[in-house]
Amino acid sequence: MAKWTPERRKKLWIKSGYSVYFLVFVLFIYGPMFAMFVLSFQGRRGGTSFPMRGTSLYWWGKLIEPSTVGDMQGALLRSLILALIVMVITAVFSTMLAMAFRKKFYGAGFLFYTVMAGLMVPGVLLSLGMATLMQFLGISPHWWSSALAVHVVWTLPFGFLVMMAVFNRFDERLEEAARDMGASEWTVFKEVTFPLILPGVVAAGLFGFTLSYDEFARTTLLAGEFNTLPLDINASMTQRIRPTLFALGTASTIFSLGMIGVFLGIYSILYRRAR
Amino acid sequence: MAQLDHAPHPGLIGAQPAPPPEVVEQTKIYRREGGFPISWLVAPATLWLFLFLVVPLLSIVVFSFWKSTGYGMEPGFTLDAYQNYFEVEGFFDASHRKFLTPSVFVSTLFSTFKFTVVVMFFCLLLGYPIAYFLAMQVKAFKWQLSLFLVCMVPFWTSYLIRAVAWIPMLGRRGLLNTFLLYMDIVDKPVTFLLYSEFGYVMALVQIYVVLIVGPIFFSLAKIDDDILEAARDMGATSFQIFREIIGPLSLPGVAIGLIFIFVMLMGEFATAVVVYGGKTSTTGTVILNFYGVANYPASAVNALMLMLAMMIGVIVILRVVNIRKEL
Amino acid sequence: MTKRKIDTATSAKKVISRRKFLGTAAATTAAAGAITGFPAIVRAADPVRTIGLGVSIINEIQSQAGKDLGFPVRGQALGYGAMFGKMLNQNEQYEVAEGYYNDYDVMVPAKVWQPIDTKRIKRWDQVTNLSKTGKLTADSNPGQGDAPFRHLWIDANGNRVDGPSRYITSVPSWHNADSLGYNPDETGRKIESWAELFSPDFKGRVALLNTPQIGVMDAAMGIEALGLKKFGDKGDMTKPEIDFMVDFLIKKKKEGHFRAFWETFGQSVNLMVSGEVALESMWSPAVTAIKAEGVSCIYAALKEGYRGWHGGLSISAKTSGKALDQAYEYINWWLDGWAGAFVARQGYYMSVTDTVKTSLEPAEWDYWYEGKPAAKELSDPFGTPIVPKGEVRDGGSYWDRFGNIAVWNSLMKENDYLVKRWTEFLQA
Repeated sequence: MAKWTPERRKKLWIKSGYSVYFLVFVLFIYGPMFAMFVLSFQGRRGGTSFPMRGTSLYWWGKLIEPSTVGDMQGALLRSLILALIVMVITAVFSTMLAMAFRKKFYGAGFLFYTVMAGLMVPGVLLSLGMATLMQFLGISPHWWSSALAVHVVWTLPFGFLVMMAVFNRFDERLEEAARDMGASEWTVFKEVTFPLILPGVVAAGLFGFTLSYDEFARTTLLAGEFNTLPLDINASMTQRIRPTLFALGTASTIFSLGMIGVFLGIYSILYRRAR
Repeated sequence: MAQLDHAPHPGLIGAQPAPPPEVVEQTKIYRREGGFPISWLVAPATLWLFLFLVVPLLSIVVFSFWKSTGYGMEPGFTLDAYQNYFEVEGFFDASHRKFLTPSVFVSTLFSTFKFTVVVMFFCLLLGYPIAYFLAMQVKAFKWQLSLFLVCMVPFWTSYLIRAVAWIPMLGRRGLLNTFLLYMDIVDKPVTFLLYSEFGYVMALVQIYVVLIVGPIFFSLAKIDDDILEAARDMGATSFQIFREIIGPLSLPGVAIGLIFIFVMLMGEFATAVVVYGGKTSTTGTVILNFYGVANYPASAVNALMLMLAMMIGVIVILRVVNIRKEL
Repeated sequence: MTKRKIDTATSAKKVISRRKFLGTAAATTAAAGAITGFPAIVRAADPVRTIGLGVSIINEIQSQAGKDLGFPVRGQALGYGAMFGKMLNQNEQYEVAEGYYNDYDVMVPAKVWQPIDTKRIKRWDQVTNLSKTGKLTADSNPGQGDAPFRHLWIDANGNRVDGPSRYITSVPSWHNADSLGYNPDETGRKIESWAELFSPDFKGRVALLNTPQIGVMDAAMGIEALGLKKFGDKGDMTKPEIDFMVDFLIKKKKEGHFRAFWETFGQSVNLMVSGEVALESMWSPAVTAIKAEGVSCIYAALKEGYRGWHGGLSISAKTSGKALDQAYEYINWWLDGWAGAFVARQGYYMSVTDTVKTSLEPAEWDYWYEGKPAAKELSDPFGTPIVPKGEVRDGGSYWDRFGNIAVWNSLMKENDYLVKRWTEFLQA
C-alpha cells in the first residue's frame, strides 16, 4: 500500500491548515497576555505600560510580600477555595438535574427556565436583592455563604446545559442492561453511568471553577468583610495599577499550563498501564 | 421467575386464574424504567435556586415599583421608575428633535444588543473551526482535552488583569505598534485598535470565543465515526457530510454555546470601560451607574428590561434549535 | 501567610458573636481588659473595621495605627461602586468609613452614620477653616457645590442644621484641589485655562473622568472658560444648563475629541504614561505616579480656579460601646500627624496642618505645603523618589490653591436627569 496516496496527502494538508489556524487562534486569545508577560518583568521604576524601564523581578517579589492595598494572598486563597467548593456543588447539582430531565416530569419546563434565569439576572442586582434580604433578616454575608450561594446560581446553568448535552447522546440501554442483571440503582450509577458521563461532569466542574474564580459583580455586596481576588484587584486599582497584577496573571497562566502538562503526563502513564 | 409460583397449575386445559395485579405490573416493559426518584434528584438544586435566585429576583421586581428617595428607596407602589425608563420628552411632537426616538435607556439596550449579535457572529465564525479541529482532526482524547484547556487558560487569569493588559498591547506605545513600526509596516502608531468600536468588538470576541468552542466541541466529539465513514463510503462529498450529518448534529452544541455568550455579552459592562475607554454605554453600565447613586428602582427597571431581552433571545435560540426535543 | 486569612466558619447571626470570632485571639483575652503599659503588644481585641478606597485604606497606615493605638485596625479596600453600596447598605460591617462630602446628600438622610461629637475630637480646634467655613484665608473663594462646610453640621439626631454645631457628619480629613494634568512634551505649551480641555489642538488626545458627578464639573469649567455659558451654580445645575452642557459634549465626542474616559485612578495614570492622551482630568497623586514612571507631567494651575474635593472619616450608626471608643481613637489618630504626613507625600492635604508639619521633614513640608522648591530629592510614602531637587509643586502653596476653589465635586438635585443625559453622551 503506497504511503502517500493523494487522499492521505489531502488529509495532511487539511490537518496542517487547521493546525495553523489553531495556532493563530491561540495567539489571538492569548493576545494581551504577551504584553502582560513581558511587563511583569518591568523595572522597579516602571508601570503597566511600555517602555520598559529596565528589567527586574521586583514585581514578582511583591507577590509574596504583603500588599499595599488589600490582601492579595488572602484574597487569592479565598477565591481558590470558594471556586473549588463551587466546582463540586455545580458538578453535583448539574448532574442530578440533568439526570432528572431525562424523563418528563411535572414542572420540568418551569424548572428549566428557572435554572436559565440564573444566567440572565444581572449580577449587581442579584447582589443587591440578596444583600437587602439578608440585612432584613439580620444575617450577615460571608464569602463562604452568601457569595457561595450566588456563585452556584450563576454557574449552575452552564454546568446544567453541558450535562444536558452529555445525556443527550447517552445510551440508556447500558444502564438497563445493568439493571436487568440485578444491580441496584446506586450501583448502576456508580459502575455504568458515572464513568460514561465523567468528561461532562469534569467539564461542568471546570465551568463552575472558572466562573466562580473570576466572578466580580455578584460578589460585591455579598463577600462580607474579606475580599475575594477580583474584589481585591478592583480595590487595588483604585490606588495604582501596578505590574504586580501582571506578575500575578503570568504566574497563574504558567501554573495552569503546568497543570495541563501534569495532566497529560499522568494520563499517558495511566493509559499506558491500562493497556 | 416469581410469577410461576403465583399461578396455580392445574394443567394446560382449563381456565387459568388471572395473574395478580402486581405481577402484571412487573411484566410491563417501561422504556426508561428505573433511575433515582425524580424528586430526590431535583430537590437540592431547586431549593437552592428558590432561596438564592427566585426570592432575590422577586425582590428586584418589587424594588422596581418602589419610590426612589435621594438615598435609597422607600416601599410603596409607583410607576416612576418605569416612566423614567421609557419616557421621552417630545416623543409625539413632530417638531421636537426627539420625535419618535426611543429613550436613552431603550437605545442603550438596543446598542448592547447590536454589539452582542455582532460579537456572537464572529465568535461562531472563528470558534466553530476550532471546535471542529479539536473534535475531528485531533485524534487522541488527551490531546483534545489538553489543547482545549490551553484555550481555557486565559480564563483563569482575572478578567480585570486581562482587560488592563490590552493597553500595553494595542496602545500607541504598545507591543503591536512597536512591532509594526519596527517592521516598517506603518510609519505612525496605529490608533484605531484601542478605544474604538473595532478594538471593542475584537476584545469581546477574544474574551468570549472560547465559551462557544466548548459546547460545539462536545457535540462534535460525540458523533460516531462509523456514521461518517458510512457516508463517505456511499460517496458523499465532504460538504454533503457536513451539511447533512455534522452540521445538524452539532446544532445543540452551537445553540448552547450561543446562549452562553449571548447572556454574558448582554450583561457586559467592564470591557467597554477599559478597551473602549467608556465611550459607549451598555445596559450593564447604566445599571451600575444608578446603583452607584443609590437609585435602586431605576437600576432594577433597567435590570428587568435587560433580563426580558435576554429571555427573548434565549427563547429564540431555543426555538431554532430545540435542545429539549433532542432528548 | 499572615494571621489575616480565611475566616473559618461558624454561624453568623448576632453582631456580637460574629465580631467575637473575627477577633484574632480568644474572646477571653479581650475580656481581660486593658493591658496597660504595653502598647507594642497588639491586644486580642476586636479590630476596628474601616472601609474605603485605596486612599485611606493602605495597609501601612492601618498597621501603623494598630501599633500606635494598641488594638488592631483592619481595612477593607473596595472599588467605588462597591464601597458606596457597602457604606449605604451594610453599616453593621464596619466601624469607620471613608466618605466624600459630595455623597452626603445621600448618606446624611439615610442616617447610616452616627453624629460625631466634636467634643471627642481632640484636635477639633486645629481643623482648618477650609473644612469648617469654606474659607481657608479671609479672602478665599469658598466655591460652588458640595463643599464640606455645607455638609458638616447636624444635630444629635442626625438632622441638618445651619451653621456650626456640636455634632458633625464626619471628621474632615484629606482633601485636594484637582485640575487638569498634561504632558508638556505632548501639548507643546503651558496649559492655563480650563478652556484648553476643548481646544481643537488636542483633538483625540483628551480624556475625562467617567463619573457624571465629577466629570461634568470639569466639562462645566471648560465651557464656562470658553465663554459659552455662565452657570448659575455649577454644583447644582438646572435642566436647561445640563442640556446645554451635554449637547456640547456630544458634539465634541462625535468629532472624536475624546480619546477615552477613565474610571479608576490607575487608568488615568496609564493613559498618560502610555502616550494615549496629552491632557486629561486628573487627581493629584496621579501626577506623582506618572512622574515616578519617568514621564513628564504637570498639574496645571488654571486661572479659573480648581475643582475641590474633601474626604472625611465617619462612624457607622451601628457602632457602640467599646468599638465606638476605639473608632474615635482611630479617627483622632488620623489627625495626629503620621497619617497626614503619609498622604501628604502622595499630594493630599490634611485638615489639621499643624501636626502634619511636625511629622514631615522640613524639606517635605516646604515642598508639599509651602510650595517652595525641593531642598533635596523627595520620595513618595513607599520610598520611591519622585521629586528631584529644586522642583516646585504645581499650583504653589496650599493656601494659594485652596484660596481659589471654583467648584467642589457635587451631587445635584437633578442628578437622575444628569445620569440620563450623561448616558446619552456616552452612547453618542
